[in-house]
Amino acid sequence: MHPFQETEFSKAKQRRETLVKYGFLAMTVAIIIPLVLIIGYMIHEASPVLNTDFLLKAPQRGMKAGGIWPALLGTIYLVLMSLIIAAPVGVMAAIYLNEYAGDNWLTRTVNLAVINLAGVPSIVHALFGLGAFVLFAGIGKSILAASLTLAVMTLPVIITSTKESLAAVPMSFREACWNVGATRWQTIRRVVIPNSVSGMLTGFILEVSRAAGETAPIMFTGAVFYKAVKEGDIFAYNLTDQCMALSMHLFTISTQVPGVPEAIPFATAIVLLGTVVAINALSIGFRVYLRSRKKW
Amino acid sequence: MDSKVKISSLKVSYGEKEALKGVSFDVLPNEILGIIGPAQSGKTTLLKVINRTIDNISIARLSGTVQVDGQDVYRVKDVHALRRKIGMVAPLPVGLPMSIYENVAFAPRTSGLNKKSQLDEIVERCLTQAALWDEVKDRLNTLGTKLSGGQQQRLTIARALSHDPEVLCLDEFSIAIDPVTTMRIEDVLKELKSKMTIILVTNLVQQARRLANRTAFILNGELVEIDDTEKLFSDDAADSRTKDYVRGIFG
Repeated sequence: MHPFQETEFSKAKQRRETLVKYGFLAMTVAIIIPLVLIIGYMIHEASPVLNTDFLLKAPQRGMKAGGIWPALLGTIYLVLMSLIIAAPVGVMAAIYLNEYAGDNWLTRTVNLAVINLAGVPSIVHALFGLGAFVLFAGIGKSILAASLTLAVMTLPVIITSTKESLAAVPMSFREACWNVGATRWQTIRRVVIPNSVSGMLTGFILEVSRAAGETAPIMFTGAVFYKAVKEGDIFAYNLTDQCMALSMHLFTISTQVPGVPEAIPFATAIVLLGTVVAINALSIGFRVYLRSRKKW
Repeated sequence: MDSKVKISSLKVSYGEKEALKGVSFDVLPNEILGIIGPAQSGKTTLLKVINRTIDNISIARLSGTVQVDGQDVYRVKDVHALRRKIGMVAPLPVGLPMSIYENVAFAPRTSGLNKKSQLDEIVERCLTQAALWDEVKDRLNTLGTKLSGGQQQRLTIARALSHDPEVLCLDEFSIAIDPVTTMRIEDVLKELKSKMTIILVTNLVQQARRLANRTAFILNGELVEIDDTEKLFSDDAADSRTKDYVRGIFG
């Protein structure tokens, strides 16, 4: 028999190969379809009110008209503040856990705690934030208290993704540095961190998305139903002020206020989505740049 | 003659597993000491104790002493200074994810040297010593990780030389590189011998025979014998296991 002749077995193998490949492709497409449908449907529903006035004006006539500027601004404040608080703490904790801590019961306990913290429902974080920051620490309901609550909630996300990105740097690089007499910190600063930044940014992106979308943690700790803010004023809030937020606003106008035109909640949802994408665009861009010059 | 490195009844275990079971020998200044022995016989562990990178393996337990220049390595105040005194070349080439220049300038920089002219001088000298300078002198800014395996191994050697070590330890440096590069590096080692002490751990018994002044044979964590290379490779070897091993009868 000719060595490259097709047998029944090799034909069946080919068919299976094709079947499996297109099966997987179908599932991949199936993920994209709902996403496209959701966004398309929302944009379609929102189109009557979605314009710059909607972005920059305050709600009017008991939320039945006008824009969402106070909520948009509030969300930006909350997200950036929580990132500023959570990112350094999370990154430093992850570096300690991955680079310094030995494999002992204490580290294992901390790792377990981090995983469990990620699984705590956001309403529980909300009550913790109310108790710890608003009441015990006496910060009062404010952007600061709400951001701290969001930061606590999102810390596990940052710690986990940073740890993974650190672990992805080959051990042989560290050993090579130690062999020439570099300290752990010199090794981390010169070799480990520069090559894991892209993974840390992934953590920040997840943090931003989660913090922007959550309603419960900010409801008790700093978000309000309505707050008057001048049109387009970007310094309208102080850290000790309470603020409006998009997620909370969406919840309010969808369930608490009767007679809101249907387009407004949809437009609010689009703005919420757009805000998350816009804040993330920076880190996504930076990550793409870093990937393009990957060093090994 | 005072020994450069003195190892006295060194025992190392990883959990239940004993890697070294009480090894003692001296390394003399400006010699090439070959260390031969089959895999898992404790050769790499021995090198890790000398520059104390074994500290990073939390389950390792040690007893006995290792002295470098008469000083117990576990009593030195600055372990990083100890490591700079000892150049270490691992079995697999490791180009750090930075430029060729920075790969060599890394160690001087970590010890606080940042003057461009001095770094230039060190980079050129070390790359020349490692027989790599001519191939890379026009592209010092390209990534060290993008070099071929053989070039990366010479880059690793250049990096090990960049902190002016007094002892150079090579751990099976030739397992991942081609024979031509291996011969070039062997020539380099013969030259370096006048400036430093070299410990050459190798799986290739003939490599030890070509290069080493003296050779130690380690088997299952025990030192079988250490002697002048010529004697160890001749019929005069004291232990019959040595004779069998160097003739390729086992291992």
